[in-house]
Amino acid sequence: MSLDYVKFSNGFEKFMPKEYRDMVEHGPFGKKVTVSQMGSFKEALEEHPMCAGCAMTLFIRLAIIAFPNPEDTITVGTAGCGRLAISQAAIPFVYGNYGDQNGVASGLSRGLRLRFGDKPKDVVVMAGDGGTADIGFQQVLHSWFRKERFTTIMLDNEVYGNTGGQESGMTNRGAVLKMAPLGKKFEKMDMLQMAKVAGCAYVATVVPNNPRRVESVIKKAVLIAREVGSTYIQAYTSCNIEYAIPTDKVMEDAKTVENDRYQFTEYVSEEAKQYLAERYGYKEFLPKPAAAIPNKA
Amino acid sequence: MYLVANVNVEICASKSCKLCTQYCPEANTIQYSEEMGKEQGFKYGSAYIAVDRCKGCALCVWVCDSLAKNNAITMTMIDQLPKAALTDNITYGDKSTTAVLASPMVG
Repeated sequence: MSLDYVKFSNGFEKFMPKEYRDMVEHGPFGKKVTVSQMGSFKEALEEHPMCAGCAMTLFIRLAIIAFPNPEDTITVGTAGCGRLAISQAAIPFVYGNYGDQNGVASGLSRGLRLRFGDKPKDVVVMAGDGGTADIGFQQVLHSWFRKERFTTIMLDNEVYGNTGGQESGMTNRGAVLKMAPLGKKFEKMDMLQMAKVAGCAYVATVVPNNPRRVESVIKKAVLIAREVGSTYIQAYTSCNIEYAIPTDKVMEDAKTVENDRYQFTEYVSEEAKQYLAERYGYKEFLPKPAAAIPNKA
Repeated sequence: MYLVANVNVEICASKSCKLCTQYCPEANTIQYSEEMGKEQGFKYGSAYIAVDRCKGCALCVWVCDSLAKNNAITMTMIDQLPKAALTDNITYGDKSTTAVLASPMVG
């Protein structure tokens, strides 16, 4: 949980694989890296067994680059595709039982605060729609109501992709899937509204066809979670296998879905706006200056 | 044999939009090299593929064709590439990477 863990132990440098040496010498730790520098530094994410052309992997890749302090971050996940990539990053990953990721993250985040005090240590939960909205639903909502200070990211592929295509709470009404042949009979759950009701300080929807936006949304969510309260990001990360999207059309699908039901939305609480403006210099959240010349009536 | 992405250095080095590096789902697969284009007298550097990591999804082809409108990336059978970049031959610099191209079949 510091820059020390991305150094070589004395005498071991020459025995380490090339990927590890690149990561220590040219990785993202201890410096600011951005999405526009991708392809010219060694990323914390390594090779992973996710399917070719998976939008979820792209989102995870962008998210890991966007972490403000990757060396002080722990990711928490649960069963689902996402963990196959998240666990392949040079960032400590805690794998909860199915659905308890927000409970684990609550304890972790409180423990880190006790141990490290004001020194920021970020906890980021990345779980699928099944882990967040179905099986982990009660722990997710309770962690929000308790205003636990960590970030929850839902990787919403609108299906249980890992187990053959069952419908989830986040599947759209009418969607016919391999294991839901009659079509889903209920509406997609409105987790955004629930997050707002439960008191999240930051709620956003994002689609990975805009890498810079993903970066900015993740940065804000992680920073706000340091002091203000729970933050929630819902990302559309299509499953090209279960929804039979040709891999080269994945981003086209993301664009279509973004226009259809996944428009970019961002809710920032007043307290969070003030915090971002004062602590991290976010100009868009600075209070508007009063007009110099009052309007003449 | 299988398909991997292949960047046309001539087109890429004259545009240098770097969009494909931001859209590849695989980490450190589409890399960027300042030298690769400049060596051949182009204004900018070029993207290139670490072919041992490419899963052949062709997402970058869509990005290059439809978003960037450059048409610089094509899918090519790996044994049709005389020389390509491999992860072992890539060195990182401060702002760019350098790759020594080798035969993708022999290494």
